[in-house]
Amino acid sequence: MKRKLVGITALLLAIPFYAQADAVSELETEYQAQGGTNFSAEAGEALWNKEFIDAKKGDTRSCTTCHTADLKQPGKHAQTGKAIEPMAPTVNPKRLTEVKQIRKWFVRNCKWTLGRECTPQEKGDFLAYLKNL
Amino acid sequence: MTQRKRNGGVLETKVRVWDIPIRLFHWTLASCFVIAWFTLDNRYLDVHVFAGYLMGGLILFRLLWGFIGGPYARFRDFAFNYSKVQNHLKDVLNKHPPRFLGHNPAGSWAIYLLLGLGLSIVITGLLAFGGEERQGPLAGLLNFPQGRFAHELHEWLFWLMLGLVIIHLMGVLVESMLHRENLVVSMLTGFKSSAAGAISTLSHWKVGATMLVAIIAAGLFWFQGHLTETPEQLYQPFHGPTLPDNSLWREECGACHLAFHPSLLPTRSWKAMMQEQASHFGEDLSLEQDTVKQIETFLVENAAEQGLTEAAWKINRSIPQTEILLRITEAPYWVKKHQEISDAVWKHPKVNGKVDCAACHIDATAGTFEDAAMHLPDDVKATVTSE
Repeated sequence: MKRKLVGITALLLAIPFYAQADAVSELETEYQAQGGTNFSAEAGEALWNKEFIDAKKGDTRSCTTCHTADLKQPGKHAQTGKAIEPMAPTVNPKRLTEVKQIRKWFVRNCKWTLGRECTPQEKGDFLAYLKNL
Repeated sequence: MTQRKRNGGVLETKVRVWDIPIRLFHWTLASCFVIAWFTLDNRYLDVHVFAGYLMGGLILFRLLWGFIGGPYARFRDFAFNYSKVQNHLKDVLNKHPPRFLGHNPAGSWAIYLLLGLGLSIVITGLLAFGGEERQGPLAGLLNFPQGRFAHELHEWLFWLMLGLVIIHLMGVLVESMLHRENLVVSMLTGFKSSAAGAISTLSHWKVGATMLVAIIAAGLFWFQGHLTETPEQLYQPFHGPTLPDNSLWREECGACHLAFHPSLLPTRSWKAMMQEQASHFGEDLSLEQDTVKQIETFLVENAAEQGLTEAAWKINRSIPQTEILLRITEAPYWVKKHQEISDAVWKHPKVNGKVDCAACHIDATAGTFEDAAMHLPDDVKATVTSE
């Protein structure tokens, strides 16, 4: 009986990670179908830290502008200063669990940071980098 | 009774003129007047309102005490008609006014006027409090414009009373000098000197003690929240109405900044903002059409025109009809309310600029923006005072 309980508890605790694996794998399949291949955490990390100059305002932007370089730490919205919960799924299990959320933030944040939408390859690389943090 | 000699050997006795309730009434009322004056800023509304309630209670007590109190406290002791006042003032000008142990004719009229004005100030204060803030026993009795009118009346009556207080103080000074006695000390100790066997009043200390206990109990009751607050759970003296809420609005708008309540901008602003969501203050929100529609409906239904809060009503009336503002911080009412806040505060690490309402407004998330719900973080306060 006790064992059963432990087993069930372990399963329940694991649900977020399954959800994460589900959402990420669904999107990876999608990005592959759109032409992405060999998603790499290194490429994702490099792009995460890469700096872009904004065409309109001329300021330098990167993912770290808001999320900071340490993804296990909370970030801060560049314009409003609102706290952003940590990106790393090990610290914040809610991350990478909802396809809809991932899509929305990729569109919004790629546009702000890179000045354009990200390619399927770039998005796949980001997921490869983030999912194992 | 102690005896002493004055004016070349005439035997004088000490007479208790002012009983304890009268003295307590006098000095507490004066304190209330000063406290209310120095707490008219919205930030201290709870203190201001307490001073007002106390003032009202004191005046009602004084009216009662005028009929059942000691001999010098009763109205019949100082029921002078106008000609008596005129004569007394003439005597003062000739520097030979007759001496009254209790109130003199001029003083008595000041008392009646001060009591009347004080009561009127309390009543208009309650009306403004109920109309503008939607608080207190008269909450919602008047609408916002009427409440504002009551507020203006409240202020004019205050100036009148201040003028009268000054005249009263001058009267005390002049009579003290002409009769070579210290009337201020008499109001503290209760005693005056008198030649003939004038009657002394009882001290009525039991009534005074009851008053004192009542005042302290009322103060503790009113301000108990200040004593029990913690840094996590700050005390908010007044709670506004529960405003309409919407989970989609809270989630989407609240993702990047405080979910600013719809009541903080007019309909035309919200429509324009949702229209240009692809360039929302430099950011492409890329919201789905359905999401945009749902959020816009909620925003429009509860926009500033609906007057859900005092802030909503005041923001809306401050913006010219032709202007479509996208920033709450550009509304003239907002600007006026925040003009005293220095750059150092906006740039403080604990304050993320003007966008960060919640840095100081305890109820920013609720959207009510009540008076006295403002709380500058302690180290921000230090920045302000060190300037």
